[in-house]
Amino acid sequence: MDHPRRKLTRKKSISYAKWGYIFIAPFFITYLFFTLIPQFLTVYNSFFESYRVGLKQIGPTFVGFRNYADLFSPDSSGTVLILKYAWNTLVIWFIGALPQFVVALLLAVLFTSTRLNIRGQGFFKTVIYMPNLIMAAAFSMLFFTLFSRVGPIQALLEQWGVVDQSFDFFSYKVTVRGMIALMNFLMWFGNTTIVLMAGIMGIDQTLFEAAKIDGANSVQVFFRVTMPLLMPIFVYCLITAMIGGVQMFDVPQILTKGSGQPNETARTLVMYLNGYLTNKNYGMAGAISVIIFIITGVLGGFVYKMLSAQYKTDKTPHRRARG
Amino acid sequence: MKKVFVVLMVIAMVFLAVSCSKGKTETATKATTQGKVFNIYAWNEEFKGFFEKYYTVPEGVTVNWIINPSDNGIYQSKLDEALLNQANAAADDKIDMFLAEADYIGKYVDSEYTMDISKIGFTNASTQYEYTIKAASDSNGVCKGVSFQCCPAAVIYRKSIAKDVLGTDNPAEVQALIDTWEKFDAVAAQAKAKGYYMTASFAETFRTFSNNCTKPWVDANDKLQFDDMINAWIDQTENYIKNGYTLTAGVWDQEKTNQMFKDGKTMCFFGPAWYYNFCMTNAMDPVQGCVGDWCIVKGPQAYFWGGTWLLAATGSDNTEMLKDIFETFTKNEDVCSKLVSNENQFPNNTKVVEKFANDPTYGNTAILDGQNDIAVFAGLAKDIKWENHTNYDQLLNEGLQNKLQEYFKGTVDKETAMKNFYQYIKETYPSIKL
Repeated sequence: MDHPRRKLTRKKSISYAKWGYIFIAPFFITYLFFTLIPQFLTVYNSFFESYRVGLKQIGPTFVGFRNYADLFSPDSSGTVLILKYAWNTLVIWFIGALPQFVVALLLAVLFTSTRLNIRGQGFFKTVIYMPNLIMAAAFSMLFFTLFSRVGPIQALLEQWGVVDQSFDFFSYKVTVRGMIALMNFLMWFGNTTIVLMAGIMGIDQTLFEAAKIDGANSVQVFFRVTMPLLMPIFVYCLITAMIGGVQMFDVPQILTKGSGQPNETARTLVMYLNGYLTNKNYGMAGAISVIIFIITGVLGGFVYKMLSAQYKTDKTPHRRARG
Repeated sequence: MKKVFVVLMVIAMVFLAVSCSKGKTETATKATTQGKVFNIYAWNEEFKGFFEKYYTVPEGVTVNWIINPSDNGIYQSKLDEALLNQANAAADDKIDMFLAEADYIGKYVDSEYTMDISKIGFTNASTQYEYTIKAASDSNGVCKGVSFQCCPAAVIYRKSIAKDVLGTDNPAEVQALIDTWEKFDAVAAQAKAKGYYMTASFAETFRTFSNNCTKPWVDANDKLQFDDMINAWIDQTENYIKNGYTLTAGVWDQEKTNQMFKDGKTMCFFGPAWYYNFCMTNAMDPVQGCVGDWCIVKGPQAYFWGGTWLLAATGSDNTEMLKDIFETFTKNEDVCSKLVSNENQFPNNTKVVEKFANDPTYGNTAILDGQNDIAVFAGLAKDIKWENHTNYDQLLNEGLQNKLQEYFKGTVDKETAMKNFYQYIKETYPSIKL
């Protein structure tokens, strides 16, 4: 009696988990070698003075926190450059992200609405996603050509008498930042729409029906049913968009030919970092990377806390009722 | 476990492959056999065009061009990366030859990454311009490459506009009217009064000044120094912008090159012989262009601009071909003559230059009105001196122009523009003391 029983228990303990680990192993190995180790090396490098003068390597010499101190020491006019560039980055991101989320939410609601039942959705979804398929650098080059002093837009505006010949889109903070934000918006609103649509479609349809039967209008349904239940996906979208925003580089780099003109008001954090990479200044570039990492972490945490707090309150009375 | 083994095996194989190729190169350099792949690093297609037309590649050799743009120092940084890795690269991946400009040639010449060309059997000829040899020589006078062109630069002016403004389009008379900066400024005012621009870019005259600096950008103690000539350029440009004598476009901008069309309003452009093909294609446009409406004169001050040197990379396994290329583009009179007659270049061969300069039947009709430009350039070329150059020139010249452009456009004040320039130096060259 004992013998077969023991066999049975042994069979029960057979685990297929190892296959799971084996299948996810390639990702983790790649991640370890190509992301995690380099990340630690970046932090490590940020404590060294290490750059090239021509073909000569200077350093690496351990300098402690000197690179960080340099980054936060004000220049001759009293500006702390890294803060200025961080501010530029956030402002440009914000003016692009605001319409991005408003438009994406609107489109997602319209497309998923059973009342409207829009036809040809596949077509529209493809079209709004299209700009994302263009390489950012190419898109940026296109804008540069369109808005340049000898470009078609300038010619058109001159013809209409809106601007005169001396006008230059690239001489004004507002227009340059606006162009970058517009490009980011065009490139990303389609992507956000599709993710938010998936989120809305994941919400139980009976909730919408129940709300309607209770007499809720569309606006009420949106704010009282859709948004609270969409919150996890929305926060995810917002945080990923923000991470992408803090790392904004290719669009402004190409548009302003690396200068961040006018007066460096379109220079982002990663463009600043890239400036140091001209001569392989891994110390300073490392320090900036670490700061970007911290900024991303803090902002991400802040958004998560702020938005998901609202989402969690829905659960509290439930828990209380139980307890 | 198996998976782990596979990963380990892959890593082991990669290491093996790397160490194998290392071993291979060592034997290859010992052997006298020549390589099968000839790698050339360049920053544009200009030399590639001449190379493909006038050089016959030995049978069995493939030429591999690696071209990166020079803006923002991209070319230099890609080249540096490859040169630093040169010792470890497989024989066929090693750079054999690379191109360098006047602005940074010293960095490569004064390094172990270029080799003595006398070691590969090339001897400099008396027909090469002296400054081109000096530029390609290290501090001990060891020559590491050759230039296929010589770049005396001049003022290229629109005849029709000169006629309207000055009442003459004759080169000798025009030269007499603009042979000093004071006279040049006065003519600029005249041109403005007639509705023309004197130059089409705020940085058009930059090279004329920077080339006549009496001290280098950076001194022996790594301290940045502003030459009086650079300040003179800034003063002149301030004046030109204020009075509307010039445009705020950069030297390479389309806004400037559009001024070379027939309906352009600009009288003077500053450039050497390579400028025709490289910058003046708008002027040569069959419909909108104005071929034949151009002449060249020395202008207010002699200078040279640019130049493309061909440097021999240490570790090249194609030394015979290297020598052959150097000879073709400096000593082969037939090729050098074709560079003049077919390509409007100014070659690095005094004998060929003299031949064209003294040939009454020769005239440049590709863009000029049939004027013998070689004779004008030849007169300027003999005085070119190679001095006050540093390895930092390209990015400092480029940076200064970019930052000051914003000032000239009126976006920022001068103080801010200069502050941005100093900040740029701090980021680009931390070793330079400001």
